[in-house]
Amino acid sequence: MSSNTNTEIKEIFFQIFPDSNESNFDWKKKQNEYENWDSFVQLNLITMLEEKFDISISDDDSINIQSAEDALNFVMSNK
Amino acid sequence: MNTIIEDFKNNVKDYPEKPVLIFGDEIISYKRLDELINSLSISLSNLKKGSIISIFLENSVDYVVSYLGILNAGMIAHLIPTNLSDEKIIQQLNNANPDLIISSNSLIDKIKNIRYDCKKVITSELICNESVMNDYELAENDISYLIYTSGTTGEPKGVPITHANVNFTTRNIINELDYNSSDINILPLPLSHSFGLGCLHASLSVGSTLVLLKNAGNTMNILESIKKNNATTLAVVPLTLNKILKEHENIYSDYIGNLRLIMTNSTSIPVDTVKNYRTVLKNGKIATYYGLTEASRSTFMIFDQLGREESVGKPPHGIEIRIKSESSNELESGEILIKGKNVINHYWKNEQEDKIIDGWIHTGDIGHKDADGYLYLDGRLDGLINIAGEKVMAEEIEKVVRVLTGVEDIVVVGMKNEMFGQIIKAFVKKSINNEITKSEILSYCIKNLESFKVPREIEFIKDFPRNEFGKIQRFRLE
Repeated sequence: MSSNTNTEIKEIFFQIFPDSNESNFDWKKKQNEYENWDSFVQLNLITMLEEKFDISISDDDSINIQSAEDALNFVMSNK
Repeated sequence: MNTIIEDFKNNVKDYPEKPVLIFGDEIISYKRLDELINSLSISLSNLKKGSIISIFLENSVDYVVSYLGILNAGMIAHLIPTNLSDEKIIQQLNNANPDLIISSNSLIDKIKNIRYDCKKVITSELICNESVMNDYELAENDISYLIYTSGTTGEPKGVPITHANVNFTTRNIINELDYNSSDINILPLPLSHSFGLGCLHASLSVGSTLVLLKNAGNTMNILESIKKNNATTLAVVPLTLNKILKEHENIYSDYIGNLRLIMTNSTSIPVDTVKNYRTVLKNGKIATYYGLTEASRSTFMIFDQLGREESVGKPPHGIEIRIKSESSNELESGEILIKGKNVINHYWKNEQEDKIIDGWIHTGDIGHKDADGYLYLDGRLDGLINIAGEKVMAEEIEKVVRVLTGVEDIVVVGMKNEMFGQIIKAFVKKSINNEITKSEILSYCIKNLESFKVPREIEFIKDFPRNEFGKIQRFRLE
């Protein structure tokens, strides 16, 4: 499951950040290091994670998702 | 009447070495900004007065130089938000018909790929060493800048703002909110929107210092900028105020306690947010305003007393507000009409002329007044959704998604949300024998819509509620 989850999260990031791809993807890259990761993009990311993994993410939990690694950890512990 | 350029030039004489603009490590004095503006204006002198020049830049020193340089050269600045889709950018360019587009190193490739034929340059290419420029006399009704908003059909409509509009609104901002030359103003709002631009105008007019941030994405950066610069004012949308509260609940008071003013705008602000900030500000005020791009800053509300946290305030001197309802009773909800020198004379190319009648703009917003004349917002006449200040027509999203294979029809509505004011919910009827998933619809939206237009929620529905003529009743889904 972990490997599939990894791939699916990466795909979500590739969709939301069109400049990202396999060669430059970094699990630890933080929100403020992305060019366009604003509040609306955060909302898109949370919506995609919820739909893809059938989970619910509260506003408070949403704030703590600031990297792909954070998204992966949240999904793994809530799926 | 002084134009914003004349106000600025007066301050260049009074405060030549004072910082007018701080952006990251760049500190620009009034004198230096004046030199840069003049230089840019000179390089535009091959274009005639009134030419339209588009700015496609993120917040930066170059943005301010380009914007003021265009105005200084007697030309019209067309402001394009950088978060627009290519389709929307093309629509704007075809409608505005600019002679030149100014962009940055990081954005020029995007704009060069847009199918619109004109010269496209970065700001630094327009900074020259010549010193002779044309001296343009600006008239009150000359257009200063052009911004596009969502039309009732989702097609963008141009809003031309005259120098007289800018002058009147800037004076109101300064007078109502006590902006003065000792202010240091933190601005993380985009300069391509009326809110951010109005703050720039006020700061330049009174001779204060503007600390411009790239955006409001990093709330800790906002707080640190306040402390580092000993700021006196902060202008942010309610979403950012809520984010600061949630992300930095235990420390935010240490950073903002000494501000004299927090300015926000007219999307819904949770009452508790107003109360929290009012408690934390030692001697400062929190304020909001109501306005449209077409009628900027039509009311001001300073939350200095209990009980009116949901109001957007009263109009300043020179602006009238009427509530148009069947009963003619302004205490009951009706369409908000506005008249004053802040209201545009007409839309770009005279489109949507029926929205402005005898100087009264019919806003499409529904509201009411209380017995003391304070205005309250109650909703919209049409399908316009306001997501943290970004206004979107429901039809605009529906039109894009409806062409997706597997979607027979879609209705989009705004849902109340504490953080964003409203969020988008899409009701989707699937095509027969098609099993399209919510994730597939979302992926399509992310690819084809600006980020603020992507639905937060999707619900599949067998059919839509309809009236006896078969017309979908959108309000029953809200």
